[in-house]
Amino acid sequence: MNASAALWVSILLGACAQVFLKKGVSPRGAVEGPVSYLSLLRSGWVWAWAVCFFFATGLWLVAISSIQLSYAFPLLSVGYPIVGVLSILMLKERVPATRWIAIAVITLGVALIFRTA
Amino acid sequence: MTLIVQKNSSELQLSAAAVPSFSAMWQAAALGAIALASCGHLLIKLGLTSAAQGAIGLGLLAKIAHYLLQPIVVGGLAVYGLGTALWIYAVSQRNISFLYPLTALNYVIVTLGGKFLFGEVIPSGRWIGIGVVAIGVGLLQLSAKETQA
Repeated sequence: MNASAALWVSILLGACAQVFLKKGVSPRGAVEGPVSYLSLLRSGWVWAWAVCFFFATGLWLVAISSIQLSYAFPLLSVGYPIVGVLSILMLKERVPATRWIAIAVITLGVALIFRTA
Repeated sequence: MTLIVQKNSSELQLSAAAVPSFSAMWQAAALGAIALASCGHLLIKLGLTSAAQGAIGLGLLAKIAHYLLQPIVVGGLAVYGLGTALWIYAVSQRNISFLYPLTALNYVIVTLGGKFLFGEVIPSGRWIGIGVVAIGVGLLQLSAKETQA
């Protein structure tokens, strides 16, 4: 796998990991009452998060060993809209227009930060 | 390993009413998670860099063990793990489409840390980027009010 492919797969896996974590921790809104960390170990979604997270990190290290950080880092923000779409499909989250605008503004800001890095 | 969230205690409601949004526990957890993750990364990188000399000539497994036994790396992993625990708590309380873009604050923290801790010179273009990210985070807060999550 070349570095560019590793980078994109890492971004995708990282985004999926976050949605899997939410699915495992509280698929419907906020948890009421105590959050037990040990009981999370029984959730398949939490394990899916851990596996995706592990490979996303590994592939990220492979990618940045040959791709410049100032190019790779801002691309991470592509994960924000991906998480937005996946949260609608997998978690039925309501994503208002303001949030899409916020995601676009943040992604633009990250690009600006690294354009001058 | 159990976090008790007293949602209905009158004390919590009172403090939440006095200082809207920023007094909530999940806010502290999310911001703490983001800050600890960046600190953990920095420590791990510092430890790996300083240990690279001693790893020359070792086999793969010995090399991994050599890196993982560095005190700074162990400390970095611990800080990172604590950040992850806080993140899981925040995720249990809020929509992921809201929380995940918040992690862009990482870039803001690292830039401010670079300036104030290490005296780095920040080009003006990067301050503009930081301002734009901050505006985006403000908009995210607005969107959280719309959905109550």
